[in-house]
Amino acid sequence: MRHHMAMSTTAPVRERTEEEDDVVEPDVPWVVIVWNDPINLMSYVVFVLQKLFGYSKDKATKLMLDVHHRGKAVVSTGPREKAEFDVYRLHGAGLWATMQKDR
Amino acid sequence: MVATFKRVGRDRVRVRLGLDEVAVLRDLPGQLREVLAEPGDDPVNRRLFPPAYLEPDDADRDAEYRSLMHDELVQAKLANVEVVAGTLARGSPSKRRWTVDLTEEEATAWLGVLNDLRLALGVRLEITEDFDGQVDDADPRAPAMRLLSYLGWLEEHLLEALSSA
Repeated sequence: MRHHMAMSTTAPVRERTEEEDDVVEPDVPWVVIVWNDPINLMSYVVFVLQKLFGYSKDKATKLMLDVHHRGKAVVSTGPREKAEFDVYRLHGAGLWATMQKDR
Repeated sequence: MVATFKRVGRDRVRVRLGLDEVAVLRDLPGQLREVLAEPGDDPVNRRLFPPAYLEPDDADRDAEYRSLMHDELVQAKLANVEVVAGTLARGSPSKRRWTVDLTEEEATAWLGVLNDLRLALGVRLEITEDFDGQVDDADPRAPAMRLLSYLGWLEEHLLEALSSA
């Protein structure tokens, strides 16, 4: 998989409560991946990436072209909750998105 | 196809359609409603509501995501359908054209519905990357493929209008 290193960030450190300690996970960021599909319009994918993430037209276009030519692209990174929210919004817009730990 | 989407003012999109086009579009919200009312493990559902997690280690998380989010995704899509149905009922016909002015929110609902319809139709037709919009009349799928091309054409024009803010 091709990582967009410039986009990856370290998950913000936050104080954990005792409850959370039970389910503590390795502190690695998650990546949100958009996969190529034969139906969504290229212009639609650019529009959605701009609208959901506030990306410039250039950045959204570059990501869309990565999806189109390489089959997938990392469109956002962050802690699991943020990544899951991003996936949810992408699913709402009809993009084929998944998330996984950044490795 | 005479449809046009044009920005009027800062936050309105004017849709003009041929009467034959409105007639086609009026059938579509109901069809999408039916698709959304059929939960199941078929290809259309898998495409409209894909997994969030693919890794086997994350299977529990994916089940949780589905249980929390699936209904919300369905409800959001159904809400878009109702908005579009409402605007289709509201538009005014003249001799040969039909016109309606959409708010930004309504135009976004149109975009969502057009896209969901195309996804459902495209999956059913097993559309591949090679499909260039050209339809062979002898193909039994020709009418549905023509509809898919038309909806893509509409969506492209709506996107142009929405991006011209």
